[in-house]
Amino acid sequence: MHQVIQAVILGLLIGGVYALMASGLTLVFGIMRVINVAQGALVILAAYLSYALFSHAHVDPFLSVLIVTPAMFVLGVLVQIVFVRSLRGDDAEELSLLVTWALALGIEGVLSVIFKTTYRATSPSYADKTLTVFGYQVQFVRLMAFVGSAALLLVLSLLLTRTKFGRAVRATVQNPTAATLLGVDANRVQTLSFGLGVSMAAAAGAVYGVIYPFNPGSHYDLISRLLSIVVLGGLGSLGGAVVAALVMGVTEAVVAVEWQPTWASFSYFIVLIVVLLIRPQGIFGVRERAL
Amino acid sequence: MAEPLLQLDGVVAGYGRGDILRGLDLALEDGTVTCLVGPNGAGKSTVLKVLSGLLSARQGRVVFAGDDVTRLSPAQLLGRGIVHVAQDRSLFPLMTVWDNLLMGGHVLSDRALVRRRADAIAERFELVRERRDERAGELSGGQQKLVEIARALMLEPKLILLDEPTMGLDPKARHLIFELVGEVNEEGRTVLLVEQNARAGLAIAHHGAVLDTGRVALTGRGSELLEDPRVAELYLGGAAAA
Ligand SMILES: Nc1ncnc2c1ncn2[C@@H]1O[C@H](COP(=O)(O)OP(=O)(O)OP(=O)(O)O)[C@@H](O)[C@H]1O
Ligand SMILES: [Mg+2]
Repeated sequence: MHQVIQAVILGLLIGGVYALMASGLTLVFGIMRVINVAQGALVILAAYLSYALFSHAHVDPFLSVLIVTPAMFVLGVLVQIVFVRSLRGDDAEELSLLVTWALALGIEGVLSVIFKTTYRATSPSYADKTLTVFGYQVQFVRLMAFVGSAALLLVLSLLLTRTKFGRAVRATVQNPTAATLLGVDANRVQTLSFGLGVSMAAAAGAVYGVIYPFNPGSHYDLISRLLSIVVLGGLGSLGGAVVAALVMGVTEAVVAVEWQPTWASFSYFIVLIVVLLIRPQGIFGVRERAL
Repeated sequence: MAEPLLQLDGVVAGYGRGDILRGLDLALEDGTVTCLVGPNGAGKSTVLKVLSGLLSARQGRVVFAGDDVTRLSPAQLLGRGIVHVAQDRSLFPLMTVWDNLLMGGHVLSDRALVRRRADAIAERFELVRERRDERAGELSGGQQKLVEIARALMLEPKLILLDEPTMGLDPKARHLIFELVGEVNEEGRTVLLVEQNARAGLAIAHHGAVLDTGRVALTGRGSELLEDPRVAELYLGGAAAA
């Protein structure tokens, strides 16, 4: 039993970080029906930025979030304006898949040239520190990553529910034409939201490298996890993405200790398939637009 | 007619390749209700979309209160005092009635003013007052239309474009909407009303215009058009009178 609870704690901590990455993906999908398959590559890009700041300028990886996130917000805004906004017409959604996948491969290529394909890890002095809480082991960096992710998710949800910008975003998701008729500038909402979505990848990525070793190809595994998280949660649903990420984290961790680590990532896909057979729209998905 | 509040001159507009409006001329007298009628697909909604900037005119001019507004964006047109209540349901279903009202003031930068206007609207509409914190999607169809019109009043518009506001409503709800249209007009707002039910629409309107294949085929006082045999034959027969 002790071992299972230990695994659940570990799974929740990891799930929190995935939730942050997935929140950006589901937000962007909800607003512009674009599945940004570069989200994984953007996480890895942020991991490298944070790694570079740590190894060259001795910037603490958790502090580097404050640099990497705004920088990648700007990157996200530019990507949206240059690549995504110009896609129009009936097949814009399919085209956006190709465009963002090309972006992912582009990022992978550039990172491979600069950093080679060796695995890296950002290892601050406290990387191996563990705390013992009620007899359970909690790795300090994972706890920090979880707390930081939860805080950012809270900020994101307050931004969406309590501000005028957030209200306009929700309006655009629920009825884009009506929002336009009330004077909401759809282009502006889409650009800023895309930037926001990339920022979430950035913040999670900056600490990702402290938890896991990574190389430029790590984004393949990441994006398949993120996509299955947002599908399980219900495309476009922020709360759903959070719950699904936690479910994924816990399932993998428990299966790893109770059964076999090799089955861990597979187990989540079984959960996904079973849920989708029962609820094709995902846990929190509605058939209409929602946020 | 004195200087009209709104004038369309030779407006051509459409979607994709074809033109739906093919040189449309129409003038609205300030402070009146004008009812636009015409068969399904005639382009009535398209006229409203051009006026609110949702669709841009390919040719021709739109003059509002003496200014050329042909190329203005929806936000700019809202600023001039033109609001459009669309044909489809257009509340944000998962937002509260109150948040929907606040969205009506989106283009206003003065938050205190938005709040004051929303309070005034809650004061005026019992429905808004009572269902303020409920999700808009939970209201009935007729209630949603009322809130949509209430939301349009947030900007205290000079011109309200109403696209088939009574579509699909029961007689009681329809009556409430027509009553509200009358009230809004008495406050001095000009109304352009598109009505499927031509008889009811023309009856409450000062002026009527009949749209046919992208042009205004006939205009006249509402009551005149009601009695015009050509109109009666085209639109007031079987289906429209039902
Ligand atoms: N977004 C669009 N894309 C392409 N064609 C459209 C679009 N909207 C309308 N149309 C076409 O334009 C024509 C005019 O449509 P419009 O909606 O203006 O008609 P309407 O007079 O309002 O009809 P109704 O009484 O059914 O509301 C129709 O043939 C319609 O199929
Ligand atoms: Mg119509």
